[in-house]
Amino acid sequence: MRREHAPSALRGALHRVVAVGLALALSAGAVACSANTGEDSTTVLTYGLDSDVPNLQTLKNQGSASMILNSVLHRGLVQYDADGNIVPALAAEVSDVDKQEYTFVLHEGLTFHDGSALTSEDVKASLEAMADADNVAKMYPAAKNIVSIDTPDDLTTIVKLSAPDAAFLSYMADVSGAILPSESIGQEDPTYVGAGPYKFVSYENGSEFVVEKFDDYYEEDKPSIDRIEFKILSDQSARDSALLSGSVDAVSFVGWNNYDQVSANSNLVLDETEGPFMYLLFNTTSDSPFSNPLVRQAVAYAVDRQAVVDSALAGRGEPLSGMPIPESSEYYNEEQANYYTQDLDKAKELLAEAGYPNGFTATMLSSSQYDFHQNTAISVQADLKKIGIELEMVMPDWPTRLEIGAAGDYDIAVYGTVGITNDPSFLDQLLTPAGSQNAPFGYDDPTVNDLLTRGRAATDETERKAIYDELGAYVLENAPIVGLAWRSQAYGYDKKVSGFSNIPGFLTFDSGYTLADATIG
Amino acid sequence: MVLTIAKRLAAGVGLLFVVATLIFIALHLVPGDPARTILTGTGAVPTDAAVENLREQLGLNLPLGQQYLRYLHELVTGSLGTSLNDNRPVIELIGERLPRTLQLIGSTTVVSVIVGVTIGALAARRGGLIDRIVMVLTSFAVAVPAYVAAVLLVYFVGVKLQWLPSGGYVDPAVDVGRHLRALVLPTISLSLGFSGIVARMTRSAVLNVGNQDWVRTALSVGLTRGQVFRRHVLRNSLSPVVTVTSLQMGGLLGGTVIIERVFSWPGLSGLLIDGVTSRNYPVVQGIVILIAALFILLNIVVDIVYGLLDPRGRSK
Repeated sequence: MRREHAPSALRGALHRVVAVGLALALSAGAVACSANTGEDSTTVLTYGLDSDVPNLQTLKNQGSASMILNSVLHRGLVQYDADGNIVPALAAEVSDVDKQEYTFVLHEGLTFHDGSALTSEDVKASLEAMADADNVAKMYPAAKNIVSIDTPDDLTTIVKLSAPDAAFLSYMADVSGAILPSESIGQEDPTYVGAGPYKFVSYENGSEFVVEKFDDYYEEDKPSIDRIEFKILSDQSARDSALLSGSVDAVSFVGWNNYDQVSANSNLVLDETEGPFMYLLFNTTSDSPFSNPLVRQAVAYAVDRQAVVDSALAGRGEPLSGMPIPESSEYYNEEQANYYTQDLDKAKELLAEAGYPNGFTATMLSSSQYDFHQNTAISVQADLKKIGIELEMVMPDWPTRLEIGAAGDYDIAVYGTVGITNDPSFLDQLLTPAGSQNAPFGYDDPTVNDLLTRGRAATDETERKAIYDELGAYVLENAPIVGLAWRSQAYGYDKKVSGFSNIPGFLTFDSGYTLADATIG
Repeated sequence: MVLTIAKRLAAGVGLLFVVATLIFIALHLVPGDPARTILTGTGAVPTDAAVENLREQLGLNLPLGQQYLRYLHELVTGSLGTSLNDNRPVIELIGERLPRTLQLIGSTTVVSVIVGVTIGALAARRGGLIDRIVMVLTSFAVAVPAYVAAVLLVYFVGVKLQWLPSGGYVDPAVDVGRHLRALVLPTISLSLGFSGIVARMTRSAVLNVGNQDWVRTALSVGLTRGQVFRRHVLRNSLSPVVTVTSLQMGGLLGGTVIIERVFSWPGLSGLLIDGVTSRNYPVVQGIVILIAALFILLNIVVDIVYGLLDPRGRSK
């Protein structure tokens, strides 16, 4: 009688609610006592990855997280060592004739993770895939010059280029220069099978990748760590917290504002390099005031680069006052690296000389999706106002930013990038139409194009350096791009991890190569 | 009753169609080219030809009307389309992520209802100092945004004290203990405000019901205060609590986004955020439609529960 207002369904539901609540309470109790589950002798590295890679396509450029995964799953003919030197990898021997004909001889008995043999046929198929424009392979800028690939035997591959290319090997050493099983090429499946030190175990969308040691890896006694669990921690502060709390052993890209906290932690290492850089690029078509080199020079003299470092990069970087060639490169030219300093008077003079004594109004393109892009733009806006250039800001999210940039609907734009290699031939990405959104809109200067082609083809080191010096002088004077700041990139890891290190300069994103040498314990 | 539910369901389907159309229009109005975004990695430089090629592959160069028809067809057949960046059916991607978000919403609701109803009822029944303490604490809990609580919990409990993981997810099939440990902090973050609202609603409903004449009558026929409270007052106070709980649960469908991000909980939010930032139209459309459908369904369920709780509702 008393229960007539409480239908049994609701009662049941209430009971269930209580039961689930109890279970949850119990689990909270379990929290305190469930420490490490029984450990065996397997060594495991947990690694905080900066983004998910839902469809790993090794040949393509899919960003930094994919590069880490590629570097453990795959190997190319050559690779980078911890100092950024090019060293043989799957190829035991590498030789060239005038930098135009490269011969690679594979190690004997190489296999892929699936047990199939890795032969020169796989090398050929992989290089052909890189050379196919439709594949948008990251190595396309180097592979497009391949005219023939011969495989006289199972171990030997001879690659002929249309012209000498001194940078060919430095491209092939990138993680996207991997050799894939020929039958996997052209398939839509993720490219998990390779010949790298670790083989794929599992992937959980949005959560983790697990790889384990490949027993038939070509380098004896490597890798040392049995298993790596890559946790997908896209949020910057979540990733930093995971490192600081010991939830993971290593992370990609510590947040700039957490550098001090990581350095101050006696259990952790902050391994930093300056690699990527921020710069300005201009619309150089005739309807923009920036088509005039004098105006571009004025901008180069007007910007306070230290202010960009401080406001956009939380002080974690260095001013970039000249050519974007890292100090670790053999082509670094100190004079050209320190070409521009802030000089507002000179900037105003240049502007007056260009016919704009009272300045003008223009649009600036950046993106609100990344703080450092947005803050770089705001810093530059304040500087240019001082010489009379009023900037109207266009700061959409990233995809929109890319679309506007590709269409050239801007006068001046902020961009950040990194060279594919430390070799200065990467400058074609910044200075020619082939560079698409990395390059100033409409910029196609025959002098620059000629110097880049000659630089690439020159086989003599001294001659090459002279060509790139000439290019540097021309570009600085012409200012189609204006360097702003080098951006610091740091890996953070537990002190018990050794052997893993940040490869300096542009190669920072290739650092996953060193995980093959890493030990833990 | 059955007719009422059928009517509500039909109206829900109509509403879903409207939502589906609006989200399609909204997404396609926003500039940004999925093909270009997919092809641009760290320093990647896709040629315009490559971008055009991919647009064609993905069907993005078809007239908008045709894309809309294709989209409706996918919707009706339940496949929700194919993700642009990994060619997987959207329904499959959502199938992986949705249970994790629902788990978070479930644990939050359970904790919030138990805690909220308990302290709300306690405050109303005891009054005095306890009531005042509960009022202050719940005001505070409601005022603190979930993400602020989350960041504080990560810092103090995760990083400083290291009692619980600061984030991450462990598959329950791999390790149930670690799975539940990872669930605790996000649940607490989301429960704070939720339980505060439930507590305040319970308190005022109980006070309201407790003042009614029939309570005095019940007491006068010899029932003890405890019996009257448990059997009659509390039960009669539950309708508004159910309302507020359902509204909060509906809010959580979208509200877990930031919390999932902060705790690296791989629910729908990561998929949604990545979908928006890469203009992965099918994924965003699929998730929005799903959330709308769940919201509509939740409302229908709440109507049914009203009927069960309050016989007067059944006759309508």
